[in-house]
Amino acid sequence: MSGIKVLLFGAAADRAGTRETVISAETTTLDELWPILAERHPGLSPMRDTLAFAVNGEYARGDASVSPGDEVAVLPPVSGG
Amino acid sequence: MFAIVEEPIDVGALIADAQRPDCGAVSTFVGTTRVDQNDGASVEYLEYEAYRPMADRKLEEIGAEIEERWDVREVSIVHRIGRVDPGQASVAIVVASPRRGPAFEASRYAIERIKVVVPIWKREVWSDGYVWVGSQVGTRT
Repeated sequence: MSGIKVLLFGAAADRAGTRETVISAETTTLDELWPILAERHPGLSPMRDTLAFAVNGEYARGDASVSPGDEVAVLPPVSGG
Repeated sequence: MFAIVEEPIDVGALIADAQRPDCGAVSTFVGTTRVDQNDGASVEYLEYEAYRPMADRKLEEIGAEIEERWDVREVSIVHRIGRVDPGQASVAIVVASPRRGPAFEASRYAIERIKVVVPIWKREVWSDGYVWVGSQVGTRT
């Protein structure tokens, strides 16, 4: 199935109850993708302001374009070290 | 060397590899897992996960930033993921430079950048639940 692959990490995976999901959408932006993701996984909603996003492995802002075949990552505050 | 590994980090080997005749300093920072305690509970271990290969690439970028800013000849950053028991190394940074100043400064820079830009997360697994560090999400009440 072609779609936008969404990977979730750390606390976001915990809240969503999954580490990966696919969203069927035409070309859109991260900001427009978020409500679809949050509706599917309501546990994510309270985290919204803490999250960063990556598109195809690089940090991206809310107005970044995403298309079917792209990989979006939902990144909670990093805590390496 | 920039690496994300699942086994214990051999810090001694990293230091040995960094020693070279044109350098008078090898600076090493080792981040180790610390056990906190409260309300009769304690951390049993930490568990790390990474978004790869983005995390690998971010480590390499930090290395490139260091080489732009300072006169260094070797930079190694190794971060461990998976279960890390108390007191073990979760990250090791080794920098060799002709003089000590850049080695100290660059190793400090590396750990500070890791904590901002590298997509790695840890959760503390306590005797009574777990918590994702930085998100305060988990099963501890």
